[in-house]
Amino acid sequence: MSSSISWVTSRNPDAGNVFAIAGVVIKEMYRRKDFYVLLALVVVITLMLASVGIFNDDRIVRYLKDGCLLLIWLSSLVIAITTAARQIPAERESRTIFPLLAKPVGRGEFVVGKFLGCWVACGFALVAFYFFFGMVSASREHTLPLLAYFQAMWLHWMCLAIVIALVLLGSVIFTAPSSNATICFIIVLGIMFASGHLNSVAVQMHGFRGGLVYAIYYAIPHLEWYDVRELIIHNWGLIDWLAWAGATIYAGLYSGLLLGCAWLVFQRRTVTL
Amino acid sequence: MIKWVMILLLICCMAMATGLDSEFLRLHNRGGSSASVVVALMGDSRRLFAHEFFAMADAYFHSGFYPTIFDRQKAGTESDLKEESHDKPEGVQEHEEEASFLGKPKDWIERFGRHFYPTVHTHLHGGTEREMLPWLKLSADLDPHELDAYLTASYWLRTSLNKPDEAEQFLREGLRANPDSYEILLELGRVYLYNRTNTFVARNIFMLARQKWRKQDAAKAKPDPHAYEEILGEIVRVDRAQGNLNQQLADMEELVTVARAKETLQHQIYELKAKLAAPKK
Repeated sequence: MSSSISWVTSRNPDAGNVFAIAGVVIKEMYRRKDFYVLLALVVVITLMLASVGIFNDDRIVRYLKDGCLLLIWLSSLVIAITTAARQIPAERESRTIFPLLAKPVGRGEFVVGKFLGCWVACGFALVAFYFFFGMVSASREHTLPLLAYFQAMWLHWMCLAIVIALVLLGSVIFTAPSSNATICFIIVLGIMFASGHLNSVAVQMHGFRGGLVYAIYYAIPHLEWYDVRELIIHNWGLIDWLAWAGATIYAGLYSGLLLGCAWLVFQRRTVTL
Repeated sequence: MIKWVMILLLICCMAMATGLDSEFLRLHNRGGSSASVVVALMGDSRRLFAHEFFAMADAYFHSGFYPTIFDRQKAGTESDLKEESHDKPEGVQEHEEEASFLGKPKDWIERFGRHFYPTVHTHLHGGTEREMLPWLKLSADLDPHELDAYLTASYWLRTSLNKPDEAEQFLREGLRANPDSYEILLELGRVYLYNRTNTFVARNIFMLARQKWRKQDAAKAKPDPHAYEEILGEIVRVDRAQGNLNQQLADMEELVTVARAKETLQHQIYELKAKLAAPKK
């Protein structure tokens, strides 16, 4: 059986609808076990690392912070990507998308609501993760640089905003959530690992190829800015607030752009089973 | 029917267990340590990881200011961590001329991105050197022949961290894996000379280090001549601490043949000879 909706709204967006959809996503997040399992894994692995005795010195902490932050980043990416990737396909499979869009909820509201729900849910998860990280760090270092940790968590959250928007765009392009999640994971890790160095690669290439690589360098979202683990691990102090604000605005603009693309693609899609 | 299948499976399991048991025993007993299991599981790839973890310790020594695979590095340059632990005194050192691997930012994205990672060349100091130790230990665990891991960890343990017992224990682990290493013996002798002020044991260890170096030299294994100079230098220091002038003279005369600062040493030899020739009061 196949049914389709080719309804296009021209009315003003309703914030109530957006929040209602976001609320459902947040509820789904805390009902699922993913977050709890990942938090437990982070806690167990970090405590195991902490229990290792190294030259009878219990003040060694940076390796522990390093391991804990790496696990937090991986866990948060897993939560963000898997949560965002299943949103639209799950609504389609369970056929709840049809009454939702017929209610009427605009497609833009639907996409923004899904984004907001995933992003806020990831924010809650990050608060729990960073709270644990702060406790571990304070237990060894006997200091708690709250502002530095806040900056790091905020930038992490901003990074997840871009990632979630990218995955939502992927979920209206790719049919299967698994392929979307895998592709997005590879893209995000690739960007975090190499995007900051593409300009160095581009200057070594000449002509059209160099120009193309430079164009890609400017076009892709620079997620590596939001990974400030080195500064936190080695206690480098606060990031310049202007730079912090700049990165926040960049994340906002990029998320908006990706969500806009997702909305445009979704608008032109015929929703079928 | 299912009963017979179950019995057959049980027999198969028992037969496999008798075969595998001896293999596992051999795996566990090879070398008599957990390292043998790592060797069996990882093979030679563990050496690659050991190098990586040593590089990680170097990155920690610079508080994260460290070149990635994309950054330019001068060919043949040794890491600051090795240099510091082998030659230079402790303390904060800024190497502005070495900090240039980043270069000038090529565009606004790179300039802006530099707010989010370390861009200043500093070294750990004042006891924070302990933060490197987990990576050095891991490096040595993965490759027990990674001498630099033992030497570097021991240097920091016995100097700024003031943990000679831990340094000695780690060096002895290294010595068990590398019984012919004159480098480890040199470092072990220093623990006895500088931390324990036990010149008798220190001298014996340095003599053994000298013997090992000469053995490798005789076998054309090209041992490090700088290390030989260091061994002889430490022997002379022990002689001086023991007040054994005749022995000191003999050792200095040997040292002068390989030393880089020959003139200074020759001057000291003349002074020592004059002191020995002077009539005793």
